Amino acid sequence: MSTVRMLLALLCLAASAAGVAGVAVPARHRSLAAGTLVAVQGGLGAVLGAVALAGATAPDAVAWAWRGPLPHLDLVARVDPLSGLFLLVIGVVSAAAAVYGTAYTRQPDGSPAASGSRTTWTAFAAFVAGMQLVAVAGSAAAFLLGWEVMAVASLVLVLTEHREHRVAVTGAGLWYAGMTQLGFLAVLGAFAVLVAHAGAGDLVALREAAATAEPGVRVLVGALALVGFGSKAGVVPLHVWLPRAHPEAPSHVSAVMSGAMVKLGVYGLLRIGPDIAGTGSRAWGLALLGAGAASALYGILQAVVATDLKRLLAYSTTENVGLVLIGVGAGQVLASGGRHDLAAVAYVAALLHTLNHATFKGLLFLAAGSVLRATGLRDLNRLGGLASRMPWTAALFGIGALAAAALPLGNGFVSEWLLLQVLVHGQGADGVTTALVMPAAVAVLALTAGLAVAAFVKAFGIGFLARARDVGAERAVEAPVAMRAGMGLLAASIAVLAVAPSVVVPGLDRAAALLAGQLAAGEPAAGDALAARPLGAGLELAGIGARLQPLLVLVLLVAVAGGVAAAARRWGRPRRTGALPWGCGGQRLSPRMEYTATSFAEPLQRVFAEVLRPEQDLAVIETPAPYLIEQVRFRQRMGDAVERVAYRPALDRLLALAERARRLAPGSVHTYVGYAFAALLLVLVGVSL
Amino acid sequence: MLRLARRLRRVGRLTEPAPPRPPAGGPGAGGPREGLPEGLPEGLHGSVQVRHVDAGSCNGCEIEIAAAFGPVYDAEQYGARLVASPRHADLILVTGAVTRNMAEPLRQTHAAAPRPVAVVALGDCARDCGVFAGGYGVEGRVADIVPVDLEVPGCPPRPEAIVAALRSVTGR
Repeated sequence: MSTVRMLLALLCLAASAAGVAGVAVPARHRSLAAGTLVAVQGGLGAVLGAVALAGATAPDAVAWAWRGPLPHLDLVARVDPLSGLFLLVIGVVSAAAAVYGTAYTRQPDGSPAASGSRTTWTAFAAFVAGMQLVAVAGSAAAFLLGWEVMAVASLVLVLTEHREHRVAVTGAGLWYAGMTQLGFLAVLGAFAVLVAHAGAGDLVALREAAATAEPGVRVLVGALALVGFGSKAGVVPLHVWLPRAHPEAPSHVSAVMSGAMVKLGVYGLLRIGPDIAGTGSRAWGLALLGAGAASALYGILQAVVATDLKRLLAYSTTENVGLVLIGVGAGQVLASGGRHDLAAVAYVAALLHTLNHATFKGLLFLAAGSVLRATGLRDLNRLGGLASRMPWTAALFGIGALAAAALPLGNGFVSEWLLLQVLVHGQGADGVTTALVMPAAVAVLALTAGLAVAAFVKAFGIGFLARARDVGAERAVEAPVAMRAGMGLLAASIAVLAVAPSVVVPGLDRAAALLAGQLAAGEPAAGDALAARPLGAGLELAGIGARLQPLLVLVLLVAVAGGVAAAARRWGRPRRTGALPWGCGGQRLSPRMEYTATSFAEPLQRVFAEVLRPEQDLAVIETPAPYLIEQVRFRQRMGDAVERVAYRPALDRLLALAERARRLAPGSVHTYVGYAFAALLLVLVGVSL
Repeated sequence: MLRLARRLRRVGRLTEPAPPRPPAGGPGAGGPREGLPEGLPEGLHGSVQVRHVDAGSCNGCEIEIAAAFGPVYDAEQYGARLVASPRHADLILVTGAVTRNMAEPLRQTHAAAPRPVAVVALGDCARDCGVFAGGYGVEGRVADIVPVDLEVPGCPPRPEAIVAALRSVTGR
């Protein structure tokens, strides 16, 4: 217990020091000082998370408390395995992003860039601190305080580069601010209902009181939580801020937003759903499953056809959050059907996928930032040829892409394998609905996995391989050491998670067992109640009898490759000749002849045109003589279909209403005085009644 | 579908019966290099991938090549197959006198083919410029640009001669 308190105290110290450094240190050294302190802050959070995952905290024990001035405004900090996992996620991603940021926020001559200003570094420290507060929050007030600090700080960070990219950044900021605050209102509403019902603000008290809540209250809380936390997590149709805000934020901020902040939406759903409201609700589980499946499919489809690198990564975040929600939803459905062991495996899969996604998405965003800094370009159609000019960045992006595509020897593969096992074996639970829903979920998962491979092959192949398609790409140079170190940190964690998942799985079992209702809250986890057992470095699923040994696969691969290479060197006839690439015998190949990102994705775009609905504009200009065409102009814009179909009409109607309401304010003082008089009259009449 | 089946039954087999096998090593009438290059295994074990290059022909030879790969003479039954890229080719089939514009592409095609590769000069124009000898646009014979292993005389050569030349390489 004292370890937790000490770590919490050190964490607060580091956060304050980082904030002060952001303001006080002179410009020349600001990035280094503030970046190092934020990295320490993240690292301490990760250590605290690891301590909690290892089960060293007494369950439901309060680590720190502060009595607030009003009832229900107490701030309580409590660290259990579930919050430990999210502390680990936040800590690893923030530490890597901060190390990366020490060089990214500095221009080559040493002066700070737009993202190295005092505001930005202070906001970054506050952002990480807010997220960590949400993870350790043990009372509703602490949770909401941390949530709002996180939201405001991230808004400031999104608006960092408003001077260079006015329109896109301000648009992104507006959408982000609007949706975040509406989500906060929904979360506030959910907590308010729970606190009113329980009469206390502490999360333990909420859990005990929620057992006696009527169905109406449960449905209301569930709906509000789904809207509020779903919009933060990026669930379709509340995801529209994601592809706008993540590309415009500075890259190290995008990494933390995608890797850690959207996960806190999932954390909120896990706290309010399985933890507080209990495992009883099958409808809630089915709703999560459906939302997750829709997000996964829609997200990866948009990622496949995206030509902006960071927009592709942002949509891929939507897809992965969808997969996590499929796991959570399946866990709920199975737990309410009585299959607590399978439900625990489902939660382990979902939690492992949040950890894996944080590492590989963070790495991908940092690498994209490295590319942006070197070339000034985010458009895949104009990149290319970077593998020879930026070998480290290309290799690290390749590792991230392999993990994101969920291919073997990546860490995405381990969590998707677990999820697939649960869905395939989950058909035994009760009900016709489950028997129909689980195979459908398997089909969605399979389609998403295939499309994810296509999306990341496109991102890596078109962005890094072949030849440079534009002048900016030709002038690329490798990133400085600090940026490579930050990326390397995440790549190392990907390697550990991919090859030896048994390192984290016992901790995840503890978190999942609590959620799946295998043990009452407050009891320590028993050894043989674990569902996903570590087997050496790999995993074994106890009720199903399935095994996964990535370390064995890696060792075999290295052995076979090494054997073949040795045999080729011993018995082969090595003969190297230089040759020109075949260009049909005519002129040399130019980059104009390469695949572009648009052409690579065009077959898929045609197949899914009804879902994606691109805006196409074709203009044929003829000379005065008919049939003699002077020019053909074709323009295609791939916007967000949900935004165009659902949000635009509502926003247009709102604007029309606002326009008409302007007639209420004609500018004449007499009218305003008349309004005040009428209001006074109304109040007097109302009071006297 | 039924109409096709009925037509197939009515017309029957179009392909002519296979004539006797020519000796492996080629009936070449005095090419600059007798027989085939050293590295090329005899007969290419029954299959050869052919890349055709028109270096400046009148298209008469091309029509005969099309006939040779058609249903009547069917060169594919002996293992010869037309491929699109010289990277996949074992044999480059050149027709026509080499014009100035096609000299460099012909050299690049030959350079792009993986070794061992054989070159067949098809028709009188490929062998010695034929009726176009001395024209202002003609650079020379095929043997002046790339080394030739096998020649097929004729203007144009009959499809049976083309098939016999390919069979001498595949050994089938």
